[in-house]
Amino acid sequence: MNKKIGVYICSCGTNISDVIDIEEVVNFASKLENVVYAKSHKFLCSEDGKNFLTEDIKQQKPDCVVIGACTPRELENTFRKVLEQAGLNPYLFQMVNLREQVAWTTQDKTQATQKAKRYIKAAVKRVALHEPLEKKEIECNTDVVVIGAGPAGLESAISLAKADRKVYLVEKQPNIGGKAVKYEDLFPTMECAPCAVAPYLEEVLHHPNIELLTSSEVEEVVGFFGNFDVKIKKNARYVDIEKCIGCGACIEPCPVSVKSEFEYGLTDRKAIYFPVQGALPNAPVIDKENCLRFKGQDCNLCQQACPFGAINYEDKDEILEKKVGAIVVATGFEMLDPSIISNYQYKVIPEVYTSAEFERLLAATGPTGGNILTKDKKQPESIAIIHCVGSRDENYKEYCSSVCCLYATKFIHMIEKKLPEAKVYDFYVDWCLPGRDGQTFFDSVKEHAKNTSFIRIPKPNEVNISQKDGKIVIEYTDVNTNNKGQISVDMVVLCTAIVPPKDTEKIAKLLDLPIRKDGFLGAMQNALTTVSTTIEGVFIAGCIQGPKDFSSSVTQGAAASGKILSALVPGRKLELEPITAEVNEKLCGGCKVCISLCPYKAISFDEEKKVAVINEVLCKGCGTCVGACPSGAIRGKHFTTEEIFAEIEGVLSL
Amino acid sequence: MNNFEPKIIGILCNWCSYAGADSAGTSRKTYAPNVNVVRVMCSGRVDTQFILKAFKEGADGVLILGCHPGDCHYKEGNYKALRRYKLLKKAITQFGIEEERLRLDWVSAAESDKFVKVVNEFTETIKKLGPLNIKK
Repeated sequence: MNKKIGVYICSCGTNISDVIDIEEVVNFASKLENVVYAKSHKFLCSEDGKNFLTEDIKQQKPDCVVIGACTPRELENTFRKVLEQAGLNPYLFQMVNLREQVAWTTQDKTQATQKAKRYIKAAVKRVALHEPLEKKEIECNTDVVVIGAGPAGLESAISLAKADRKVYLVEKQPNIGGKAVKYEDLFPTMECAPCAVAPYLEEVLHHPNIELLTSSEVEEVVGFFGNFDVKIKKNARYVDIEKCIGCGACIEPCPVSVKSEFEYGLTDRKAIYFPVQGALPNAPVIDKENCLRFKGQDCNLCQQACPFGAINYEDKDEILEKKVGAIVVATGFEMLDPSIISNYQYKVIPEVYTSAEFERLLAATGPTGGNILTKDKKQPESIAIIHCVGSRDENYKEYCSSVCCLYATKFIHMIEKKLPEAKVYDFYVDWCLPGRDGQTFFDSVKEHAKNTSFIRIPKPNEVNISQKDGKIVIEYTDVNTNNKGQISVDMVVLCTAIVPPKDTEKIAKLLDLPIRKDGFLGAMQNALTTVSTTIEGVFIAGCIQGPKDFSSSVTQGAAASGKILSALVPGRKLELEPITAEVNEKLCGGCKVCISLCPYKAISFDEEKKVAVINEVLCKGCGTCVGACPSGAIRGKHFTTEEIFAEIEGVLSL
Repeated sequence: MNNFEPKIIGILCNWCSYAGADSAGTSRKTYAPNVNVVRVMCSGRVDTQFILKAFKEGADGVLILGCHPGDCHYKEGNYKALRRYKLLKKAITQFGIEEERLRLDWVSAAESDKFVKVVNEFTETIKKLGPLNIKK
């Protein structure tokens, strides 16, 4: 093979030349096979150095170049650009790490110079095999699907829409706002939660760039970053949102009564109902499971009552197909069902509530109109709040749910406001009060909550609850006094663990996202990219990525949008990294081993040709398939077996 | 055998282990010069042929370093490397190569100390084993 190779050695001031004999290395390099010249420079990365390189390469016209300098992780791309300016393909280049991995780490100068020579020889042998690679460009779609219309999804949708992006906002529930619309107040500011989300809801409903799809779920996703095809199933609502004005005349005549899911069964609803008071879109929905008409009876009372002809029993589920460039997953969270922890007697003793249920007792839109009342409509004289229910316990969820201490503080504050005479017992393990306002909020509540006793228990879930003479008895050990104690209360509130929604596995499968051990979706293994995932173009925001509060969820929604806005720009093509793998169809035996190994779903099988096909857009160039292919049919560009072999031969031949 | 300076090939993944080696450099930690680094993007790229080739070309030992389990930049390439490594350990003994001459370890970008420790340890191991003698 006759290649003209040029070698440049940088002394990096004296960083490299203090330990490595530059002259000796240059002399050695110039005598290697295919090398037409070898030169040194004091600072190749300086403006002067880069100009020297550009001009020298233009003049000498080598076929390929070796640069011995610092780590390629720092300057490989810089030097690639220099090569490009000098009219040489940037991949006809190999960089040798003489600074970080030789000069700075080798004590003996002779040994260091020797090692430098080995590396230069390996690079010269390798670079002779390099091929020019071209960056490809593809067209991309800049529209976005946002899954979930809670705080994170709403923020994401709005910030994208305001930047003129078309957004399909897909929400499983018939209304938007997520769990935030269920709360009365938000900690630590005690700001009204529905008021905080109201402007969002309004904007999302009317923004011309947002197509809101309620009662809808994503069913299928194919494609890749910039070019996703998303199938969305829009479930029939049986109420025409365009015609309905939300008067509610249809509700009263409905003869059916079932437990309301939105109110956690604390109250009843009809088969045609508003999911929540003030729900947006402001239109009811028919629950097909319970509606008499859908059970075969001849009931049309709601249709008769509607003055606008908005009720349509013929409404059908629809499959919508959308083309988008990116996807935001903001599917939120659920609360752990505490009935799996037997000592709490949840669902056995009626006055044991989850924190989510208790939020509804506090809410003016809730079943008690915001009055704290027991199920037989009495004001409780005493209430116990128990922290860490299912959290921080290896038998249930090992993580801290991160918001419970703060909402428990909010509960204390609100109980004091609504029932000034009531006695409160707060059973905690440790206080987790992060952020700028957490501690001050707690301190101020503790200061005025004179009726509240704080009892520290040794471990999460170490309390026993039973019922005696119409009271709830809690047995505990107080860590501070080491005394066993017992109290009687009228109501118990369990601060249950925040858990991933039930359909997380389905979503993860659709998008090929990894699920972490704790069940939440995993972001990239990198503290800098909490909303990016291993699938390019798919972002996660809010509690689906782990427990967090309202404002952190909103922040992540905005972050995901920011990532999308900078990655997908209208009129700009997507540039693809050329270091990918490719299949030689003649050698491929069709064994499919590579398909299951690819972490990016980049390999598919061509049933006609019976060969594996690699999608260049999805391939990240890790080379796992290359190393595994039993017939050597896959080539890892820029890391071909021949190139690595040449490097091994070169480094060992000295 | 005191003067024996073994030749060792170190195949390092770009994201964790190569970065860990760089960080040993930036903190000026010196170590035995015997390990010659070949960079791959992911330890999942490590082909069994690379190891056999290295032994054939005269390497006395081969060291594979990748990201810690769960930290792979490409999700799970390091697990693939682990599987191949286990098989390969058995295979090389068939060629008369002591299995200690092949080592896989995990070094993160932050673990410059661990990188130095592994390199020095492995160099010592190979020094004790002496030069590799295989019938070509």
